[in-house]
Amino acid sequence: MRSHLPGALLIVGAIMTACSPEPATPKASGEDDGKLSVYVVNYPLLYFAERIGGDAVGVEFPLPADIDPAFWEPSPESIVPFQQADVILLNGAGYARWVEKVSLPETKLVDTSKSFATRFLQVEDAVKHSHGPQGEHSHAGTAFTTWLDPTLALEQAGAVRTALVNLRPQHEAAFAKGFTALERDLLDLDKRLQATVARDPKKPLVGSHPVYQYLARRYGLNLRSVHWEPDSAPDEKMWKELQKLLESHPAKWMLWEGPPLGETIDKLERLGVRSTVFAPCGNVPEKGDFLSVLRNNARNLEAVFAEEGSY
Amino acid sequence: MTDVLYLAWRYVLFHRYKTSILVLSITLIAYLPIGLEVLVSQSAEELTARAASTPLLIGARGSALELVLNSLYFESASPTPMRYEQVERVAESGQASPIPLHARFRARGVPIVGTTLDYFDFRRLRVDSGRQMAVLGECVLGARAADELGAGPGGSVVSSPENVFDLAGVYPLKMRVAGVLAPTGGPDDGAVFVDLKTAWVIEGLGHGHQNLASPAASAAVLERDGNRIVANASVVEYTEIDASNLESFHFHGDRAGYPVTAVIAVPHDDKAAVILQGRYQSNDEPCQSVRPRRVMDDLLSTIFRVRGYVVAAVVLVGLSTLATAALVFLLSLRLRQREIRTIVKIGGSRRRVAAVLASEVVIVLLFSLALAGGLTLLTGWLGSAAMRAFIVSS
Repeated sequence: MRSHLPGALLIVGAIMTACSPEPATPKASGEDDGKLSVYVVNYPLLYFAERIGGDAVGVEFPLPADIDPAFWEPSPESIVPFQQADVILLNGAGYARWVEKVSLPETKLVDTSKSFATRFLQVEDAVKHSHGPQGEHSHAGTAFTTWLDPTLALEQAGAVRTALVNLRPQHEAAFAKGFTALERDLLDLDKRLQATVARDPKKPLVGSHPVYQYLARRYGLNLRSVHWEPDSAPDEKMWKELQKLLESHPAKWMLWEGPPLGETIDKLERLGVRSTVFAPCGNVPEKGDFLSVLRNNARNLEAVFAEEGSY
Repeated sequence: MTDVLYLAWRYVLFHRYKTSILVLSITLIAYLPIGLEVLVSQSAEELTARAASTPLLIGARGSALELVLNSLYFESASPTPMRYEQVERVAESGQASPIPLHARFRARGVPIVGTTLDYFDFRRLRVDSGRQMAVLGECVLGARAADELGAGPGGSVVSSPENVFDLAGVYPLKMRVAGVLAPTGGPDDGAVFVDLKTAWVIEGLGHGHQNLASPAASAAVLERDGNRIVANASVVEYTEIDASNLESFHFHGDRAGYPVTAVIAVPHDDKAAVILQGRYQSNDEPCQSVRPRRVMDDLLSTIFRVRGYVVAAVVLVGLSTLATAALVFLLSLRLRQREIRTIVKIGGSRRRVAAVLASEVVIVLLFSLALAGGLTLLTGWLGSAAMRAFIVSS
């Protein structure tokens, strides 16, 4: 009897070859197509990362919406997700002092303002106050609201793009496209603000909070600051300080981080000072996004500079 | 054949003490050089494995061996510290990722290693219980350190003062244990890991104290000038970092000047490693770069030289032992002449007698070689763990 074994083996071999899975092609480094996990320390960086990164990134900003991210005091448990991130975007300039007191993987940290560290501003005459839900805080040291200068915000966005490209080089073209669109928006905003201030560059202004340093430097604003909060009524000592300031700096407008209390507005108007909002947008806005908030700020500033003043 | 083996076996069993001594002697002679070779090879492997996994070490100029032993095994005296700016220099070179180490302090004899989270990824350490350290003042323990200190997640560890008579020196810091690492069988099991910044707090470069603007601190205030407050040494400094005082902790001075004991440089590729090493060749350079593998190989070559002498001595002793065994056998032959004559008289041929005698020798040799083989295998299995424990505990 003829043996059918060779034929059977041939058939079995053919079936096994057909059914065997293709060997996995090893991915080159950087070709991981999973979403990048990006953690940020403030809302402007979240906005930049999302505009630039698009669908390739998942950006997390795990802070409560009602606190100032600069003075957040995280619990140990809230640091753990940061430790798992692929990249952690820092503002730099001393922003988010909590970073100095926690353990984060150094190789994943990106200081987005490192490129212009030599151009940081120092806060002069910093004063401590007790107010607000977070209690006492101080702005002593380096001024950190760098993103209020659109040209510095652009440099920070550039650092974000570089960090994303280093981790996902296969998406470089998409990141470049996102960055270009963001760049256009920021430069348009810059031109708009320049044109606004150019109408009356010497106009004296008062900042309710020492957060407008980079804005003032960029546009040459004649601005001095006190340290008030929009949701707290200033005490007598603060009013006296303002009055003394107005003697040498006769401002007619005060810039606020948010809408101030009605009684504060009234009392200011009795001193001849009107109020407008120029929100720093450090945390997620209730409405809109970073760009819409800054455009709203620009609109408010246009109203201020549209008014002719004598001083 | 079975009758020959039976007779030989019965003879060997009857003279058990003589047989045992012979078997033991030959076993030792066979096992010693081979066992020594296995043990030394495994020790070399243990010592070099950790060194081989550490591509480059940067440290202050001085003893390369001390730098390697302190940085890899957290033993030996702490090397001369170097400035933190050297860590930044490695990062800015673009050739390698730096992992700083600060291994100066101890907690009841257990080394406290200040580093960054990158160290854990580099050494593939994972947290077995609890979590990774997250804030200033927290620590994670190696598995053996946790046993030695009797601490676990939620517990605490206190750093030991360097010198009990140095009242102005380093203050003890009570650190919260965030987690315990899974055992690795290496030196990391015996260490307390803290964030580099926590190590700097232990060193006194960072501290937290009561709010100088508060009434409670008024007794400590020497001078107030606007927003500037000058306090005297009686201001209360915290010896434990917790949620209530974390915010008060701060560092003085320029971080670039803060001390680290070594930097593990992880080059991006071989070319980057060579370029980075080249930057430390100049005589004016305050720091040195060493390849730990090379340093350990130099140390081991000395050990291997000594091993060669030991093996030669053992071989000589072995030869004399074998000669003594042969003498014992020949002497026993003389004593057994009556026995041999009896075997011949009852019909055993001379060839049969020779076979019995030869079988006795073979049985002794087989037993000896089997025992030596077993001991060698045991050395192979357990020697590695024993050497690891010896290296780590010495």
